[in-house]
Amino acid sequence: MTRPELESSVRALLAELSRRDLAALQRDEDLVEHLGLDSLQALMLLAQLEKRFGARFPDARLADLRTLAALVEELEHQGKELVS
Amino acid sequence: MKIGLIAMSGVRVHEPELAALGVSLPQFVHRGKVIASLPSLGLLTVAGLTPPGHEIAYRECAELPPPGAELERFDLVGISSFTAQIDEAYALAERYRAAGVPVVLGGLHVSLLPDEAAQHADAIVVDGAEGAWPKLVEDFANGRMQPRYQGLRAHVFEDANRAMPRFDLLRGRPYNRMTVQTSRGCPLACEFCAASLRITASFQQKPGQAVLAEIRAALAVAERPFFEFADDNSFVRRAWSKELLRELPALGIRWFTESDISIADDEELLELLAASGCAQVLIGLESPDEKSLVGLDPHGWKQRRCDGYLRAIERIQAHGISVNGCFILGLDSHGPEIFESVREFVARSGLLEVQVTVQTPFPGTPLYKRLHDSGRLLAERYWEKCTLFDVTYRPLHMSVAELEAGMRWLFSELYNEREFLSRKRHYMELVKARG
Repeated sequence: MTRPELESSVRALLAELSRRDLAALQRDEDLVEHLGLDSLQALMLLAQLEKRFGARFPDARLADLRTLAALVEELEHQGKELVS
Repeated sequence: MKIGLIAMSGVRVHEPELAALGVSLPQFVHRGKVIASLPSLGLLTVAGLTPPGHEIAYRECAELPPPGAELERFDLVGISSFTAQIDEAYALAERYRAAGVPVVLGGLHVSLLPDEAAQHADAIVVDGAEGAWPKLVEDFANGRMQPRYQGLRAHVFEDANRAMPRFDLLRGRPYNRMTVQTSRGCPLACEFCAASLRITASFQQKPGQAVLAEIRAALAVAERPFFEFADDNSFVRRAWSKELLRELPALGIRWFTESDISIADDEELLELLAASGCAQVLIGLESPDEKSLVGLDPHGWKQRRCDGYLRAIERIQAHGISVNGCFILGLDSHGPEIFESVREFVARSGLLEVQVTVQTPFPGTPLYKRLHDSGRLLAERYWEKCTLFDVTYRPLHMSVAELEAGMRWLFSELYNEREFLSRKRHYMELVKARG
């Protein structure tokens, strides 16, 4: 999966999980603020992303994964690790 | 007539080492900030109970001019305070009275120690403001205010007695959390409890439509606020609770409340809670083993439920509702082994959040009377130390120093980044397993 494809699928999944139209979401925009999430909702969103992508975000990075760009980068990074 | 209603707020810790440690404990600091940022529902309700024709100003104590500076002019001032801040409330009352402004004091502490409070006020309101405040304002306006007004202890939420809190007084102010109350009192009646149970004759339940109307009123003055239900034990009456919960999804709110562990028994209730936007329930577990819970409540309810704590926590959290588990250190059965015991239980429980406090004999509680009568209180008057983090009595099976040191150790074990992340990870895996 190319990075644009990965970004598109993450954006689509976030829109599905949050039930919001995220077409206008900028790559570096704070997701938690954009969606108006509380800390628990943010955690649940990450858990659902992990489940759907079969990923496991590093616990120490959970607080940093607040933008589309950061999520795509982390998933891409994990994909590379899986390939290697 | 212009009436000033002043809320005393904030979390305080007197013991210096613990206060210093508190600065570095992320969850402790976070919860302290949350509590400090909540508006006073009691005073907003008092505002709502005020007869028409009077101007009301709501102020937080932190907004007031410092001692020596000129005070805002009011015709009458009402101050509400919990025990830990009561001396500050008394000092503030003296400032206003010295400036010629009559002062009314109310709240839980005033209700529990009315004779003490009466020395610092022109009038006091005992128990709830319902049934007292409208008469007080009318009497004041007519120049015949009495020194003491008794509020209702029953039928508090009947239509003729209750009023919509004046959430509109918060318009334009930076509150992102709002409180509503669905009930007062708690049938468990734990010995230590100094909450609304002490100002009600029995469990009082607000009509569901009134709760919904209050939420809508609060939504009109703040953008997407997080709601805290200011209850001591929500969901005591299940049929009523479910009826309310079925109405909440349409409001699209996220909210928090306090309950007891029995909610885990009711699958339908948990499903409704999850669908209604309930983010967290705070549950008083108090202690991790049943022997230590003997005598805590008159019916031995918590002792009987203790064996099922772990399964119940998992079941609630698996519905996407986090549990804030509360423990009290220094119960009469506790020796120095309790600190490791709580740490180990928390690690096994997967609780997303944990609140650990020290047993506190608030004046007016059965616990206070018992410790006072047995000569175990460290001072005759210690209200400024009723913070839930300062030791004010002699424990039975350890020294004061051991309790203080053990609490500091437990705080550092529970409130650190590693444990915080571990609890987050456990919660995420529960959410993933549920789908």
